[in-house]
Amino acid sequence: MVKEIIFANMAKRPVRTSVSILAVAIEVTLILIVVGLTMGILTENAERMRGVGADIMFNASPGTVALSFNTSVMPVAIGDLLRDVEGVTAVTPVIMQLNSQDGGIGWVFGIEPETWDLVTGGFTFQEGRFFEGPDESVIDDLYAASKELAVGDEHSVLNHQFRVSGIVDHGKGARLFIDLEAAQDMTGSEDKATLFYVLCDGPEETESVVAALIETYPEYGTVPMADIVSMVTNRSIPMLDAFLAVVVGVSVSIGVLVIFLSMYTTITERTREIGILRSLGARKGFVVRLILQETLTFCVVGVIVGIGLSFAIAVAVTSAVPTLNILITGEWIVRASVLALVSGILGALYPSLRAAGQDPVEALAYE
Amino acid sequence: MQILLETIDLTKTYRSAGLEVRALRGVNLRIGSGEMVAIMGPSGCGKSSLMHVLGAMTQPTSGRVLVGGKDIGRMDDRARTEFRCNKIGFVFQKYNLLPMLSSRANIAIARYIHGSHNDPEGNRRLSEILRLLQIEDKMDRRPAELSGGEQQRVAIARAVVRNPAIVLADEPTGNLDSENSKIVLDMFRKLNRKFGQTVVLVTHNPELTAYTDRVIEMRDGRVVGEGSVDVGWEQEGNLMSEPVTEES
Repeated sequence: MVKEIIFANMAKRPVRTSVSILAVAIEVTLILIVVGLTMGILTENAERMRGVGADIMFNASPGTVALSFNTSVMPVAIGDLLRDVEGVTAVTPVIMQLNSQDGGIGWVFGIEPETWDLVTGGFTFQEGRFFEGPDESVIDDLYAASKELAVGDEHSVLNHQFRVSGIVDHGKGARLFIDLEAAQDMTGSEDKATLFYVLCDGPEETESVVAALIETYPEYGTVPMADIVSMVTNRSIPMLDAFLAVVVGVSVSIGVLVIFLSMYTTITERTREIGILRSLGARKGFVVRLILQETLTFCVVGVIVGIGLSFAIAVAVTSAVPTLNILITGEWIVRASVLALVSGILGALYPSLRAAGQDPVEALAYE
Repeated sequence: MQILLETIDLTKTYRSAGLEVRALRGVNLRIGSGEMVAIMGPSGCGKSSLMHVLGAMTQPTSGRVLVGGKDIGRMDDRARTEFRCNKIGFVFQKYNLLPMLSSRANIAIARYIHGSHNDPEGNRRLSEILRLLQIEDKMDRRPAELSGGEQQRVAIARAVVRNPAIVLADEPTGNLDSENSKIVLDMFRKLNRKFGQTVVLVTHNPELTAYTDRVIEMRDGRVVGEGSVDVGWEQEGNLMSEPVTEES
């Protein structure tokens, strides 16, 4: 019976119902997309770090956090010393530089092909070959797709023109790779490296190698790659939680306000209906429950629409910009759904209490 | 006759647009169980206020309203709601059906609130009421798809389906033409006779009194006269102007 009233009311006011459902859907979508985009980028970065295949990252600054790499440099010659540490199989120097051209921002790795292959196991080329000079670059398939680049095409990196010599599978450190020496020239860091990736004889050697490196080179940073990946997946990035809290807070506020406005106006319209129910002996609790159930009904529809919309946007965005990764997790689907339902109840609470508190005689006289 | 409803020195004062309105100024009346009574009087005489107090929709300012010996005037909102649910059936001039629901759902909601929607005896009773009111074939229509008379018959069915002790009807024929008024009043009478419910009709239409057992006349918030229709109507000819029995 209550369902019949709820659906009849929703059908009677299609615009109000649609707007309310849309508001809840936008709330859910906003949460899922922003959180998904943030987590997707971080997770994808972590995956790319893991994909390098190294066991240790050795850089110029002790205590450097995973994704806020300090681009201070250190002599490439240190690499030879690292190779001599017991338990180390291979070491490769990398110059890391942020590239903000071509309408995006991302790391460019200056690498040494021979040692890079030793540490990482080498690229899987989809097309072309490794760079053979300072004006050639290797890019990953997602970068190629997003920039519509093919082997032989020219593109600008760090204000220099490069020709694409090869396209590789994504998942190894960066999306753009140039020759180490070219990167050193471009950044004024001759014979220097930003970091070294260190491959140990086996994963079990990592701990002892890390200890040895920290002891021998306390002025540098030594971080097991597993820790870097873990830091990202544990969401211990500074201010990330605060950022997500702001996004969620804004989304929930929108939901509460829209539902409040929607229910407040509909309650005014339905004053006489509420008076009729009260004259029939409906308790205040019945009226409150009726309105809250109606709110929950379109919140549930809004949540379903929002989840669907989020997946549709994620597919559309990643099709248009393959380098973007929107990670919609089950955990956040549940969180966004619960938040949407709670914001719906919060928004409808005052209007429902106001409706229930109306004087039945005055409510019946309402025109 | 057993007294079902009694008011003692009942007053009701409310504020409207900043002014104090004394709607009821000491109403004393008694209505017996199974009676069909008309409360008559001109507009603004306090009829509707009296009906709201009798129906536990609002509290009196002072005085007592005894229904089956219980003073409903002193009940809190929760108890009055419970009382309305179990003991009162309202019929309004403007029908007050829920416009988005079918006739069937409009009647069902009253049973749902009462908690008797699954009662087989209630189903049997509903069938009988619908047959009596001749609206069995109108159940799937919404109020907007019904004539005024049909809407009022649905409203009557909604009021009596829970078998309330008292049916209060406020100007039930006020929005109907004379033909539909006659049909509706006939049905009130039949329901009263068949189910023995106490029916209180509030009206300013003197023709309506022909269908009632007794008429109570109000003016300026007071009962100014009452009398039996069988005796008083025939004897006095016009009860409106010449009440048969003065209220002591």
